[in-house]
Amino acid sequence: MDELDETQLKNHVDSLKQQLQYNREKTSISLPELTKWIEEKMNEDPFLNPDVLKENPWVESSKCVII
Amino acid sequence: MKKEAEALKTQIEAARKAACDTDMASAASGVAPAPRVQLKTRRTLKGHLAKIYAMHWSTDNKLMVSASQDGKLLIWDSHSGNKVNAVPLKSSWVMTCAYAPSGNLVASGGLDNMCTVYNLKTPVIKTVKELDAHTGYLSCARFLSDTEILTSSGDTTCALWDLETGKQKTVFLNHVGDCMCLALSPDMNSFVSGACDSLAKLWDIRDGQCKQTFQGHTSDINAISFYPSGNAIITGSDDCTCKMYDLRADQEVIGYQDAALNSGVTSLALSVSGRLVFAGYDDFNCNIWDSLKGEKVGVLSGHDNRVSCTGVPVDGMCVCTGSWDSFLKIWN
Repeated sequence: MDELDETQLKNHVDSLKQQLQYNREKTSISLPELTKWIEEKMNEDPFLNPDVLKENPWVESSKCVII
Repeated sequence: MKKEAEALKTQIEAARKAACDTDMASAASGVAPAPRVQLKTRRTLKGHLAKIYAMHWSTDNKLMVSASQDGKLLIWDSHSGNKVNAVPLKSSWVMTCAYAPSGNLVASGGLDNMCTVYNLKTPVIKTVKELDAHTGYLSCARFLSDTEILTSSGDTTCALWDLETGKQKTVFLNHVGDCMCLALSPDMNSFVSGACDSLAKLWDIRDGQCKQTFQGHTSDINAISFYPSGNAIITGSDDCTCKMYDLRADQEVIGYQDAALNSGVTSLALSVSGRLVFAGYDDFNCNIWDSLKGEKVGVLSGHDNRVSCTGVPVDGMCVCTGSWDSFLKIWN
């Protein structure tokens, strides 16, 4: 902060004033919603639902046959 | 004015405290812990001749670009492990690379202070633009489209560029330390940046303003990512921890750390649900964290040097790690 000149410091203070105005949501609302979102998506997550990874592009799905 | 700034910061902290009426442990108490995650290396991509600094998946979930200080960008077909293209760089001091969502363009940048954009679809790969205006190194670049790209720089600014004119449309000013990383929001209206001032900032792409500032780290933030829901971000730092910040409550809600870990975090990527965090560290490993419980659920060991970059493709089917050992590994 010490390296900022007058204009930069003023911009900084103006920015802080704006940031203070932000309408903060209570964590008792935002966290459960975030948790729910993640939980619902876990079904589609290949790392957490092995069924999604059945078609694994990096694993041979059939055995090799020596002709 | 410095006093005014300090007073405002105190007020912001008070407002955050007021919004904090529960913590993540309570909110996630009903959630079962994530299972132990044990992944296998499916491919080891060999081809670079020096440290790999960055990688980025194409939206087609198959191709990816990697950048190494051997002076090359390599485009890989991750399924076969073959190299599809090699782009020689004018400057070998590369720090970042990016794949455009369309698949038509890639970009690179580093100590040359420039972001160079290449067209992969012309018969011979051509440089289409050299974006030259930053006065510090280019630490990260991300395409919004074939006509716009965001960059972060050691000159403490981020910028939005018009690829048709090659000029900066918007410069994002607010950090007081080198900007090290950036991540686009899922809705593409905002982005977050992490810097050496230990702060992460959320910016509105169109009006250029810093909307929110997130503190808590005690050293450089090297990696940053949005949660797929768009309401939270995760950061990784030289202070050896990762943190989740809730955008709506405007504060840190959980940290990912271990007393035994004393290596900085270099990179991170999230699984599609956001439940798993893949964090690359200086100690050659990539640790897997349960984002809701804050516990380590797995480790990816296999590199012989620092893990410098990690990436999960859009379909979430694997995770790729890139290292100073010159190899990239695909795991699932």
